[in-house]
Amino acid sequence: MSTLDLGAPEAAAPASPPPVPPPRGRRRRYAWWAAGLWLATGLYLVPSDQQAVVTRFGAVVEPRALPGLHLAWPWPIDRVYRLKVRQLQRLAAGGDPADPVLGRADASRSQFLTGDQNLIHVRAVVQYSVAAPAPYLFASEDVAAVIRSAVESELARCLSGRGVDAVLTTEKAAIQDEVRAGAQRLLNEYGAGVALASVNLESVLPPAEAAGAFREVASARADAARIVNEALGYASSVLPRARGEARQLLESAAAYKQRKINEAAGDAARFQQVAAEYAKAAEVTGERLYQEAMVEILPKIRKLIVDAQGSLDLTIIRRGEPAPAAAPPAP
Amino acid sequence: MMHDRPKLVRAALAAAALWLLWASLFTVRETEFAFLTQFGRPVRSVAEAGLHFKWPVQNVTYFDRRLRIYNPRPSEFLTRDKKNIVVENYVAWRIDDPEKFVQSVGDAGAAELRLHDIIWSGLSAALGSQELDALVSPDPAAVRARQILDRLTEDSDRSALRQYGIRVVDVRIKRLNLPEQNKQSVYARMRAERERIARQYRAEGEEQALAIRADADRQREEILSAAYREAERTRGEGDAEATRVYGQAYARNPRLYRFLRTLESYKRVLDDKTTAILSSDSELLKVLMRGQSGAQ
Repeated sequence: MSTLDLGAPEAAAPASPPPVPPPRGRRRRYAWWAAGLWLATGLYLVPSDQQAVVTRFGAVVEPRALPGLHLAWPWPIDRVYRLKVRQLQRLAAGGDPADPVLGRADASRSQFLTGDQNLIHVRAVVQYSVAAPAPYLFASEDVAAVIRSAVESELARCLSGRGVDAVLTTEKAAIQDEVRAGAQRLLNEYGAGVALASVNLESVLPPAEAAGAFREVASARADAARIVNEALGYASSVLPRARGEARQLLESAAAYKQRKINEAAGDAARFQQVAAEYAKAAEVTGERLYQEAMVEILPKIRKLIVDAQGSLDLTIIRRGEPAPAAAPPAP
Repeated sequence: MMHDRPKLVRAALAAAALWLLWASLFTVRETEFAFLTQFGRPVRSVAEAGLHFKWPVQNVTYFDRRLRIYNPRPSEFLTRDKKNIVVENYVAWRIDDPEKFVQSVGDAGAAELRLHDIIWSGLSAALGSQELDALVSPDPAAVRARQILDRLTEDSDRSALRQYGIRVVDVRIKRLNLPEQNKQSVYARMRAERERIARQYRAEGEEQALAIRADADRQREEILSAAYREAERTRGEGDAEATRVYGQAYARNPRLYRFLRTLESYKRVLDDKTTAILSSDSELLKVLMRGQSGAQ
């Protein structure tokens, strides 16, 4: 019944007689303190990297409390759930191919079927954050399982529509985008309150049983590139060489032309000089030129001198092979 | 003390009032349904979270209303074109009608068994009416898995809701695989395919390389022949110019030119293998034979 009098003024406290051990006023003060402390449990602080959800008797009354100091009803009426909304969380979908030594991972867990019916191991890493705190907390039993399922189903769908070459080489980025968008759409349908930041294909590997053949393709591609590069090297060495040779041809032709012209000019000048002098004494000069030429020519050759009137025995020509150059003419 | 008796009564009354209040209030959290029964008979279900009243004689049972993921064991199905395929799917579901749920199913484990039956038969029928190409094809437009699964979700949702009070939110394929006994032949096919592709890469590389080389050789020939054409033209110009100059010069005195040219030719043509038969009457030897008079 004492608590019912809480609202009464405290004026009577000092006047009460000393023999009553706990004075009424002190008890009241304790009660006030207790009530104040209880009310104070309704104060809550949301740190700057977090957001909070407040529920009253289990129902959400504040779906998104921003950082700062807030007041709610005291415990147990209100409850405050704080969440690091901006922090990215990771989880893996798919998996690595089975480790033959340890035999730990189940191979089929990470195995997917591609559009051209090849089997391939894919492991994706998903990064996500909280988009809506209240649904994130209350909408699904296991948010991670929901996300993993959504991502894996989108991954399976994307892979089943593409050939293995596309998956291994060119389409990786496209698959990542498509999986992220598709899984996000599913999660929105489920109302999971999750935002997918990225889906990364961490490893895309052919099965161990065909890995050698896949490596062979890679080395064939490298070989092809090498052959092409060699051919390009050939082309880039042949063409400058050919251009050089062409230049050489042109230069030597130009040299020939110039030489011919110069020689002709020289010869012509010489002839004109000679002709000018010849004109002055044609008879004598002609004779001199003839004699000079004969002196130059005749010593080098074999000579048979025959009498102008005598008949000629041609056999001497053949006989005279080792014989001295000049044979006496027949008388 | 005179006060003791009424105080006790008052305390007892207050306790009774508190108990009554406690027994007629209940809270429902966001994650659950409350289901009220009165002496075992279902009364009503409460879906709205918060504080609620009930009669003190009524009992409350809670059911999780959150979305759950059920992963059935991977099963093998046969497509219309008689191909085996192993499908691993998941089912996203939640309790929608707690009254029906509690009457027909009871708990989550039993619910998953029921869901497995519904979805297995639905999937089996759906895949049995589809070619494998509808699930797996290099052409993304041919893959109709999404449509097939959307229809399956709709159908199983309808029947699960009617029978068990369960809402099937989604049925999706998580993984498509081939049966273990088929895998070896698939690997063999993959290897053969890779070998073909490797050979193709090499051959294409050679094709390209040969084309590059041939093109280089052609360009080389073009460059050299063009240069030859140009060079010969230049030489011809030189020859023509020389001829013109010679002609101009020699035309002034053709007799002297012929004479000089002949002498020049003798010097080149006649060598030590030549035998000249000289008549004593010749211009050169007249003097040899006749002395001074020969010079006349």
